[in-house]
Amino acid sequence: MRKTFLMQNPSVLWFISLLAVFTIAVTLMSEATGVSLISTSFIKTLGKTLCLCLVAIAMDVVWGYCGILSLGHFAFFGIGGYAIGMWLMYARTETIVAQSLASQPIPPTSQEISDAIGNQIFGVVGSSEFPMIWAFADNLFLQLLMVVLVPGLLALVFGWLAFRSRVTGVYLSILTQAMTLALALYLFQNDSGLRGNNGLSGLQNIPGFEDTSQATISIVFFMASALALGAGYVFFAWIVSGKMGSVVKGIRDNEARVRFLGYHVESYKLFIFTTTAVVAAISGALYYPQAGIINPGEIAPIASIYLAVWVAIGGRGRLYGAVIGAAFVSLLSSWFTGGGAPDINLGFYTIQWTDWWLVLLGLSFVAVTLFFPKGIGGLFDYLVRKQP
Amino acid sequence: MSMLLEVNGVSVTFDGFRAINNLSINFAPAELRAIIGPNGAGKTTFMDIVTGKTKPDEGSVVWGEKNISLLGLSESQIARVGIGRKFQKPTVFEAQSVRQNLAMALKTPRGPLAVLMHKKTKKNAERIEAVAEQIGLYDSMTSTAGALSHGQKQWLEIGMLLAQQPRLMLVDEPAAGMTPDEREKTTNILKAAAKTTAVVVVEHDMDFVRRLDCKVTVLHEGAVLAEGSLDYVTSNQTVIDVYLGRAHA
Repeated sequence: MRKTFLMQNPSVLWFISLLAVFTIAVTLMSEATGVSLISTSFIKTLGKTLCLCLVAIAMDVVWGYCGILSLGHFAFFGIGGYAIGMWLMYARTETIVAQSLASQPIPPTSQEISDAIGNQIFGVVGSSEFPMIWAFADNLFLQLLMVVLVPGLLALVFGWLAFRSRVTGVYLSILTQAMTLALALYLFQNDSGLRGNNGLSGLQNIPGFEDTSQATISIVFFMASALALGAGYVFFAWIVSGKMGSVVKGIRDNEARVRFLGYHVESYKLFIFTTTAVVAAISGALYYPQAGIINPGEIAPIASIYLAVWVAIGGRGRLYGAVIGAAFVSLLSSWFTGGGAPDINLGFYTIQWTDWWLVLLGLSFVAVTLFFPKGIGGLFDYLVRKQP
Repeated sequence: MSMLLEVNGVSVTFDGFRAINNLSINFAPAELRAIIGPNGAGKTTFMDIVTGKTKPDEGSVVWGEKNISLLGLSESQIARVGIGRKFQKPTVFEAQSVRQNLAMALKTPRGPLAVLMHKKTKKNAERIEAVAEQIGLYDSMTSTAGALSHGQKQWLEIGMLLAQQPRLMLVDEPAAGMTPDEREKTTNILKAAAKTTAVVVVEHDMDFVRRLDCKVTVLHEGAVLAEGSLDYVTSNQTVIDVYLGRAHA
């Protein structure tokens, strides 16, 4: 069965092979192996990019295949990041507090330890109480469960309400964007229980691995991200191939017709929406330990719009298109905004790319939509057709 | 005599316009029926009501031996009890192959989990191929539906209807845009299907209706004007006045 699946989808085999070669090559050139051709900070950038590729695949499945233009999938990504960040921050603060209290003559009580941790984490927003949502933060296993359960349930309830009322098209996009905005605004508040606009920080320090160098940690996360991307790619390729893919694409192209064939369209949409939300959250949980910090700004609606832009530029309705779009545009974006691109002096005006990059991105988006609706991934069609 | 579908006293109003006005119409488990009527007579609205797209203001729509009311069911539930529909404008999934279109319509479990775990079987493949043969698209199984001609798309949609194995087929203008040969073939398929299934054909084309050689129901202003053989209804003075008279004027 597996063999036939891969044979029917040669692009999956290609993708997995390329990803494996890329991962091994980068690992060999990293500081962790002593070769040090690639800096640790760039390893982190590459690892983060792989996570962005994974969330882009999820976006492609929900939008490119199922036709739901969700402007909320980066919110699920952020929730995943927050969920893992809570454990990282709690466990690390616990270690620090335990060390500092250990030097005192009288051993601290568990209440004292808990208060001290609370003070450390929430002092910045003028509180020391642990809010309810931190109930599982001391337990890695439970908090990992939260990474999938919280966004999964949110997507399930939101999707059920929206799809049941047959909200579609641009109205659904607006609704998902409103959800994203509401979540971001809520997290910005100091009493949200997640440190307001400070967000969660110090996430690059993995509790229990204090003595391990960042070079090693970064390469472990890089490989984990590559593994997640590979697994996610195969998983979604399996979903969108075969009969499920047929029905889902049918829903994208003519929802009513699918309904008259006897399929309960809402269940299918809910399945796709929730599954992709969970995968988005998993990619977020891998991304933020590499980024080191998460704050509500990450969840702002613009991030979800970028996600849609990546997928559109890379090519909707093909999984590798989403990967190409996310990797290409996000790396290009860091190059332009990070001052990598040289300013252009026109004599009367100097184009500074840190300011003008967004304009360039916007124009490329419009150009791709108008002239290359298949995106960069569409080039592969062209190449395949050229072969005898 | 037990009826497959009983529509009783159904009315529906859109913005003050009475599209269906106290309509009552019944279909036997195996019969061929043509529904004719001028534009705005309520033919499409009638189909919308039966398939659950439109909810009537009053009246009842009762289905099958167990007398299930269709009014409380969703479109997909109605399709699953055994009502298939072919639209006036051919609506096939153009981005997908003929085989995929037929496979989607094929009578198999419709739940997301069943579909996700669906495995291609030889039996299903044979059923798909049999339908494809019947509609003359056996050689185009792998081509995308979007690449088919208008007539072939009509065929494909009829094929999807057959693959669904419904107990009632609602067929909206199946012969539109077809050559005389193709019409002949369509007639034969519909007649063959009507031996085991209720087939309801909405049609404008009188020649095509004559070829179907079946009971005819004339709709006018959302109600049944006359019912009987084509010769009977065409000789009815009211029918001539409202429909034929206007058409030949």
